[in-house]
Amino acid sequence: MKVWLGLGAMLLLAMIVAACAGHEWASPADLLRAIEGDQALRSRLLFDWRLPRVIAAAFVGALLGLGGTIYQGVFRNPLAEPYLLGSAGGAALGATVALLVPLALPQSWLLPLLAFAGAWGATMLVIGISRVAGAVDAAGLLLAGVAVAAILGALRSFLMLALSDETVSLQVVLSWVLGGVQTPTWAGIAVLVLITLACVALSLALARKLDVLGLGETMAVAFGLDVHRFVMLAVLAGSVIVAAAVAFGGLVAFVGLASPHVARWLVGPLHRPLLPASALVGAIVVVLADAIARAALPPAEIPLGLVTAVAGGPFFVLLLARRLRT
Amino acid sequence: MTALAADNLQVDCGKSTLLHALSLNFDATESVAIIGPNGAGKSTLLKALAGTIAPTGGQVRLGRRNLAELPSEERAQSIGFLPQHFEPHWDLSVAELLEIGAARARSLSADALEKSMAAFELGGLERRRWSTLSGGERARVLLAMVLVVDPPVLLADEPTASLDIRHRLDLLRALADRGRKRLSVVVVHDLDLAFSFFDRVVLLARGELIADEPAARLLDDPRLDDAFGVRFERLRTGEGWHLRGCR
Repeated sequence: MKVWLGLGAMLLLAMIVAACAGHEWASPADLLRAIEGDQALRSRLLFDWRLPRVIAAAFVGALLGLGGTIYQGVFRNPLAEPYLLGSAGGAALGATVALLVPLALPQSWLLPLLAFAGAWGATMLVIGISRVAGAVDAAGLLLAGVAVAAILGALRSFLMLALSDETVSLQVVLSWVLGGVQTPTWAGIAVLVLITLACVALSLALARKLDVLGLGETMAVAFGLDVHRFVMLAVLAGSVIVAAAVAFGGLVAFVGLASPHVARWLVGPLHRPLLPASALVGAIVVVLADAIARAALPPAEIPLGLVTAVAGGPFFVLLLARRLRT
Repeated sequence: MTALAADNLQVDCGKSTLLHALSLNFDATESVAIIGPNGAGKSTLLKALAGTIAPTGGQVRLGRRNLAELPSEERAQSIGFLPQHFEPHWDLSVAELLEIGAARARSLSADALEKSMAAFELGGLERRRWSTLSGGERARVLLAMVLVVDPPVLLADEPTASLDIRHRLDLLRALADRGRKRLSVVVVHDLDLAFSFFDRVVLLARGELIADEPAARLLDDPRLDDAFGVRFERLRTGEGWHLRGCR
């Protein structure tokens, strides 16, 4: 119980700090005024731009935390992460197409849609390849995933080189690929909340079977789990969750890998508590990283994915080293 | 009453046949040791009986029903399977492991977990993590996990590694004792213990059934010496039997 209160309080605190941070810093009093409906320009800007972005960052982080936990659970490998099975590569390719190829739909729709389609398609491709190769197990999926991710990355680079011109600059694509939470409208936030809640429910439904799978394949079968079917199902669920995170937050490195580890140290490896804890940890990390991305080098904004990798990497190594020493 | 049976059970792996059309019947209450030299198919037979590998021919029957057609949840509740090697991927606590084991039962009495903890002397270990347990404690935790739902059938592959002699004796005695109330089929690697503790001994070699007799009768059977390719000296000891192989 203490852990949950602590995590909740930390998230709240992180969100307040993040809402204050920006290339112009606000005080908590400014925030309160903005929330109460003050019509001054500064308050309007805070309410319409900064607050939605902070909230979106929290949800993107939560989705990454959930996705990472599912992937690590399925592959029973603490190094597995959401981007391993090509879903990130697929999403990035979809987004690149949306940004560079002139299509009839408005881009605000097209980008999340194509990112989602890309993530889903890449995962199906990986599963298909491992099935054709007759290696539908964790190792086979991982190998197929690495290969597909490489191919998709090359395709994306080619598209970026071939299609960018004066009208669509490479920078737009790059900043998305490197990760960055889009600022949604308040209606968009409602959609994001619904999607996140659905993803939480979906992952909790997998929790018990992820625990059984963690006993090893032999025991899992003996305990009545249809291992192959469940692995497929869980991988698909994981990709749906990652696709949602990518559609709203671009490619944010590292959070999906690190959050489950931190959460495991806090609540243990059983998946029912682990999944929500990992979501909370992911939310805290992305909210803070997004604040740094906005506030560190004003007026420029650093891509979020770079912040999470540069700040998260050493932090994670430190935690791991301390953990190993005790 | 037959609780578990193999009818012409055949298991192939690629081009080689691991079990040749093997038939066996097990009663609802007995303790059976499966013995045989390396590569005899002991573990394969056990896995096929447990339904964790699918036979290429014949069938396994649980009661009157074909095991392959049974829903996997029902199979998991009726058959407890103790693998030779067990290493969970996450460093779970004893209480968490038992909880996972108990979750496969459709319904379980409220005190089943506590009873199981007590039966396997795990009191005080609830919060200990797997990585901190000794070999003997691990064996008891595994047994508690598998038996917490009190399955009518227990199929166990004797863990050979990481148990010292005392804990091996304890474990085998516990497995054999279970045969007084339920069916307990155990792959035993130590012949002395197989003949000392179990009612009935099944001898396999090269994937074929060589002998299936009460322990006392098989002990003197020359087929035992043939199967292992040695000549046994059978020595009576205070506790049971000691078989010494000579070339």
